Amino acid sequence: MAGRGRGRGTNTSLTQEQMQALGIARGDNAPQVLAPPPLFPKLETKPLPLNSDAATDYMVIVKDQFIEYLHESPAYVKANRETDGIERYSDKYKLLALDANKGRVLDCVWANFPPELRPQASRIRPSSRKRKLDDPKDIEKRLQLLEKKETQENTNEMMATAGDDNKKQDDIDEDLEDEEEQEDEIDDGTDYANNYFDNGEDYEDEDDNLDDDPVY
Amino acid sequence: MSHQLGRLVAQILQRYCGEIVEKVGNDLFMYGSKPIAMIVKSTGLPRTQVIESLRTLMKFDLAIFEATGPHVDYKLLPDNVLLLIRYPRYLLQMKSKYGTEAELIIEELLQQATCSATLLLVTIANKYKDDKDKNLTIVTLKDTFISLATAAYIQQAPVAEMKEGSEIPNLVQVATIVPDLDTRALMQAMANPADIKDNIYWKVNYDRFHQDFRDDIMIKAMTRRIDDTAGEVMRLLLQQMYLSSAAWAEESNAIPVTDLRESSRLTDKILLHQHLEHYLKVMEENGAGFIRRADVLDHVVTERLGSKAARIFRLIRAKKYVEEEDIQKNAMLPNKECKQLTYKLLEEHFISVQPMRKSQQVSGTQKGIYLYHVKLFEALHVCREMCYSSLHNLSRARSQLVSEHGRALDKQRRVRTIVHGMRMRSETEESINDVLETLTPPEVNLLAQVEKQLKQLSTAELELDRNLFILNWYLHYP
Repeated sequence: MAGRGRGRGTNTSLTQEQMQALGIARGDNAPQVLAPPPLFPKLETKPLPLNSDAATDYMVIVKDQFIEYLHESPAYVKANRETDGIERYSDKYKLLALDANKGRVLDCVWANFPPELRPQASRIRPSSRKRKLDDPKDIEKRLQLLEKKETQENTNEMMATAGDDNKKQDDIDEDLEDEEEQEDEIDDGTDYANNYFDNGEDYEDEDDNLDDDPVY
Repeated sequence: MSHQLGRLVAQILQRYCGEIVEKVGNDLFMYGSKPIAMIVKSTGLPRTQVIESLRTLMKFDLAIFEATGPHVDYKLLPDNVLLLIRYPRYLLQMKSKYGTEAELIIEELLQQATCSATLLLVTIANKYKDDKDKNLTIVTLKDTFISLATAAYIQQAPVAEMKEGSEIPNLVQVATIVPDLDTRALMQAMANPADIKDNIYWKVNYDRFHQDFRDDIMIKAMTRRIDDTAGEVMRLLLQQMYLSSAAWAEESNAIPVTDLRESSRLTDKILLHQHLEHYLKVMEENGAGFIRRADVLDHVVTERLGSKAARIFRLIRAKKYVEEEDIQKNAMLPNKECKQLTYKLLEEHFISVQPMRKSQQVSGTQKGIYLYHVKLFEALHVCREMCYSSLHNLSRARSQLVSEHGRALDKQRRVRTIVHGMRMRSETEESINDVLETLTPPEVNLLAQVEKQLKQLSTAELELDRNLFILNWYLHYP
């Protein structure tokens, strides 16, 4: 029964006659190729030989010269390479080559360029927002806070309380709780934490109703 | 603006200007025009590097900017990127036609992209001051420069015009005025190049070179088809054409025979003068337009699929619209082979098919007629795409080769510089040989092989560029 339901007759798109017109006879089908085509297919025809004379040689040399010139000029933009912290012997030479090129600006006719490309017009980039804990003072404060919390827990166990201390610790607790709350809020931003668990109790209920009038 | 072109442009930029410029260039190619901020965002490069790359692109005329109000959009010019490969050809043309001075001027100007006349001449003169075999003087350089400007091989760069209230310049093309350079001033500038105050900038006029190439091709074609004298006639015709009509016009204005006769009298070729009329007649009959587009395509087909396919291709072209059976009858090939080749041609998009259905027959055997024909422009585009992709492949193969043998090539370079230094210090032959021997024989063999391959690839690149030039030129004249 396969192949029924979409048009009638054969499951190919062409009739026998059309196939024949295209030059495909019965039983003439090529075996299916399952392997991918080769990465470097064989050349069916040989390419023409390249002519090499003095003019060509000259052009090849000139071309290489031009490329070399460009590579040494500031037109060749180099990435700022980050060192991995390991000192190598070859660094000496590489750095020398880099230093020679560093700070050189392409000499252009600046009047013909839009202002944003001109050298003096280096726009001051907006300083990226400081992270909260980058300041050493902040880190210290935070560490103190945590330390105090630890000691407080210890003291709680020991049930040693003093009125003055309590007040202070309450403050600290509030501080900490505030931060924890903030973190919680961020966590709640996604719905991963939501409970989608289905205990499967409703499973049978639906079926009972459907028994009476089936859906066609 | 095809995929292949994009790949090729990226590859060329990578080879000439490095990876970062390539990234920026590719980004511009994909999106058309873009402001800096967008480029920074989509490439993920630091802003300073994007600016540097844009400077490079703009300097060498590979990109332009468009200003709308305060915004500046940048746009890549892929055609000009392709011209980078053609630079050596310009230089060769200069060297063979106008000599070393002209070559040096054009070379320096290509390297500087835009440069003022004084600075250009002074740099060249200073660079080759100690070179005895070149024997350059500032005077000859100046004369060559002026003659090049007169012949329009170099032209004035566009001048920036400032609008009021905006910082963005507006580039305006200016007519080239042949400069009047003062020799004494040039001599002074040579002594202290720092204080040159020449603000008329020059650049190379690619179009003029292309025009030369085109003429060369036409003359060569005539010479090959008929004979040398016909080539000569062609040259005269072209000369007359430049006097009377625009250089890139499709047809020249009519040229009176008498003019031709006049000019042929100047050239002392008696044969030419006597048989001018005959030659003109032959050319008229034979010519039917000098541009024989299809010939090139024929060659491409022959080289790729063999001469039999080329026969079919020619047949279809000659008959315009052909049915398949007619091809089989006329191509004089075995039936099956003929079909195979036809389909192959179809597959490679050299020919196209036009189905025609007979509408009267309602049912039964619906036999369509398939007419084969050649869409010349499509086939040309196919060819061009092939050129692009193979150029890209060549360039890739090259960089692959270089990176594979990078270590050996580096070593060779270092040894060469050391030996050069030793020669300069005129050290003993023995110690030089010691240094040379650090390259082991297998290494030397390998390097020779690599060098040969690199040269072959380079040559192929130049050749392909030549083809591209011809193809583009065909597309230029519809």
